[in-house]
Amino acid sequence: MSLDHIVTVTVGGLTVGMIYALIALGYTMVYGVLKFINFAHGEVFTIGGYTAAFTLLALGVNDAMSPIVMAGCILLALLAAVIAPMTVGFLIERIAYRPLRGRSRIIPLLSAIGVSIVMQQLIILVFGPTPVSMPALALGSASFSLGGIRIRVLAVVIIVVSALLMIGLTYLVRSTRIGKAMRATSQDMEAAEMMGIDTNKTIAFTFIVGSALAGIGGLLVVMYYGSLKYDAGFLYGLKAFTSAVLGGIGNIPGAVVGALVLGMTETYGVSLDLGFLAWFVLAGLVLGLYIQMVRVPGRRLQHIAEDRRTPEYEKSVKNVYRLAPYFAVKTLLAERTDALLSVSAEHAVRLMCGNAFLAASAAAMFVFGDVRIDTRWQPVIAFVVLMVILMFRPSGILGEAITEKV
Amino acid sequence: MTAITGRIRSVTAPVRAAFARVPRGVYSALGLAAAAIFPLLNVWGVVETAWLRVGVLSLLFVMLSLGLNIVMGETGLLNLGYIAFFAFGAYTTALLSSPKFELRWPFLAVVALSTVIAMIAGFVIGLPTLRLRGDYLAIVTLAFGEIVRLTIINLQDFTNGPNGITGIYPPRLASEGAIASLGDAAWAKWLTVDKPIEYYYLVLVCVVVVAILLSNLKNSRVGRAWNALREDELAAVSTGITAARAKMLSVVLSAGIAGFAGALYAYYSNVISPESFLFMQSVIVVCMVVLGGMGSIPGVILGAIVLQALPQMIREAAGAARSEFEVYRMLIFGVIIVVMVIFRPEGLLPDKLWRSESHEVDPRELEKTRQSLFDLEEGEKDLEV
Repeated sequence: MSLDHIVTVTVGGLTVGMIYALIALGYTMVYGVLKFINFAHGEVFTIGGYTAAFTLLALGVNDAMSPIVMAGCILLALLAAVIAPMTVGFLIERIAYRPLRGRSRIIPLLSAIGVSIVMQQLIILVFGPTPVSMPALALGSASFSLGGIRIRVLAVVIIVVSALLMIGLTYLVRSTRIGKAMRATSQDMEAAEMMGIDTNKTIAFTFIVGSALAGIGGLLVVMYYGSLKYDAGFLYGLKAFTSAVLGGIGNIPGAVVGALVLGMTETYGVSLDLGFLAWFVLAGLVLGLYIQMVRVPGRRLQHIAEDRRTPEYEKSVKNVYRLAPYFAVKTLLAERTDALLSVSAEHAVRLMCGNAFLAASAAAMFVFGDVRIDTRWQPVIAFVVLMVILMFRPSGILGEAITEKV
Repeated sequence: MTAITGRIRSVTAPVRAAFARVPRGVYSALGLAAAAIFPLLNVWGVVETAWLRVGVLSLLFVMLSLGLNIVMGETGLLNLGYIAFFAFGAYTTALLSSPKFELRWPFLAVVALSTVIAMIAGFVIGLPTLRLRGDYLAIVTLAFGEIVRLTIINLQDFTNGPNGITGIYPPRLASEGAIASLGDAAWAKWLTVDKPIEYYYLVLVCVVVVAILLSNLKNSRVGRAWNALREDELAAVSTGITAARAKMLSVVLSAGIAGFAGALYAYYSNVISPESFLFMQSVIVVCMVVLGGMGSIPGVILGAIVLQALPQMIREAAGAARSEFEVYRMLIFGVIIVVMVIFRPEGLLPDKLWRSESHEVDPRELEKTRQSLFDLEEGEKDLEV
């Protein structure tokens, strides 16, 4: 496994991951505020890609243009790819979701799936069932060499643009008035209303921002891959949602982390052989074991020690602390030895199953070391990741950030 | 808006009352009689054989919708990959009863195994998701539906990939020897189901059995537990319902029914390919349940028949090209879902419970009415709410 191969794969994974992140942010923000999955978000992404490609086609962009004119055209396409999805996202919220607010859980979900179908068919009706393709530009295939490794310019553009957008979003949510309103609405809609926040406006704004990000994602995808099919939004949406769950739904940095992890997993998964990948699984297992056996029991003991701060107790706890890994092993074996370290038996079993699963898959991967996963199975990887995360850590890597009122 | 609907209601009230006096059993009997007579129309030469095909497919979709209704209508969860369980049943049947592996298992064994395999799939899907918030099931099943189809396409050796499995043997209700020993008795040929009309009655019997089973289940302890979970999970759990187990039961049972329907479908259609198990098919079933009325068995049956038969009629009438037609059909299905959910979430033939709860009063709306009632200076005099 040569180094430049790994660098190429990593850049590919980052690129894909950043695009997933752009879409996942929309899911996670809407989930944070309204607690429902906006199934139509994938289609919003497709609309972004289509409008961008059609704008470029309509402007007749080609390589003969001067760079300034071309930059102008691309900016125009960007504008189109932001405005169209924003409008669509706003309208969807207004027409299909707002009347249903406060209804039982399944109702808005159904509406979302209906909207998603309608939009997909509308895309076929308006743009035709054939995939839209970008005009062939030198920019699209341009690449530069970094220490002998060829990297596509567009990959770098995608990574940089997405990172900037995410920084912008973080600023928006953390430090502006409307961001504060968004956080308040997501925490408790009624209380936010009592504080004078126009929740309707805030929710509409959330949809608009999410849709704009997805639209930019669409533009980047269509430029990177050169074409986009009308049902692309389905799979991208699914993967983006997986990313959001992976990172912790409702959690904005989580969505980015989850997307990057998923993008990396996918790209590494299909481009390296299993024997190499097994080391990653093993590393994951070791990290998990460390956290479960040393960090978590240690922290729990510390909390207890801080609670009852008597010298004798601290001393006794210190002794226990030294033994923490031992207790943790016992906990992992589902023998609840000590109330101090008690994880519920169910949780311990789940952790144990997770560890066994990782160990077994690592072993299996070492055995079939020289096999490579076919690219055809790529979507399956995302699904397996989703199932595993829901099975063993449903709150995601960085934890959920939603508050549910009972 | 409300004034208009109120006026319409007041006009139609006597008619409604008249219909309400008819006992429910009468409708079921009428529907069953109509379903039983329908293929005879073909025998008498009133309708073409193509309509018999539509009839069989409608019945299969009735069964699918009944199954999905358990999850969607009764338990209030959303399954968006329902067709995947159907695919499990269909492929199990196709592999066990076709020249692919030179197997021809008896009908009952194949159907039972198809059902069980679909149930296992349902269990595997439910295991990680049902402990969590309800909408995770929706997204996981959505992904599952797609993954199953991809897997079918990719497992070339096993499923023939995109070409599908052809030449599925017609079902034999008795063993070969038994049929041969009956000789030329007139009814013996009915034991080998290979004509459309025979399929029709076979499927009809299965659908009726499933419908009776489900309507009994609906009024049982389990059914009430499902409804309670749908209404308010916390309250349900605190009355002693084990949420995860009850939900799992509903998901597994509905998967089993889909597997059953899948087996019948594979037998009937003779050829199956991944094309028949697209995401859109799942959406169609969802649409049938929503249109007919979530949680209402007669409603769901009506929804399935209407949405399966109507497009066929329109297609015959318009003579539109297949692909073109498909786009409009899906568009209309999407619109139906959205419109129904917004304006009549209880469906065309609503279940009593759903009707009372789906028009629950929005607190803001209530506040408005209250204000218009008490604010005599601004509000008009009408106290009609």
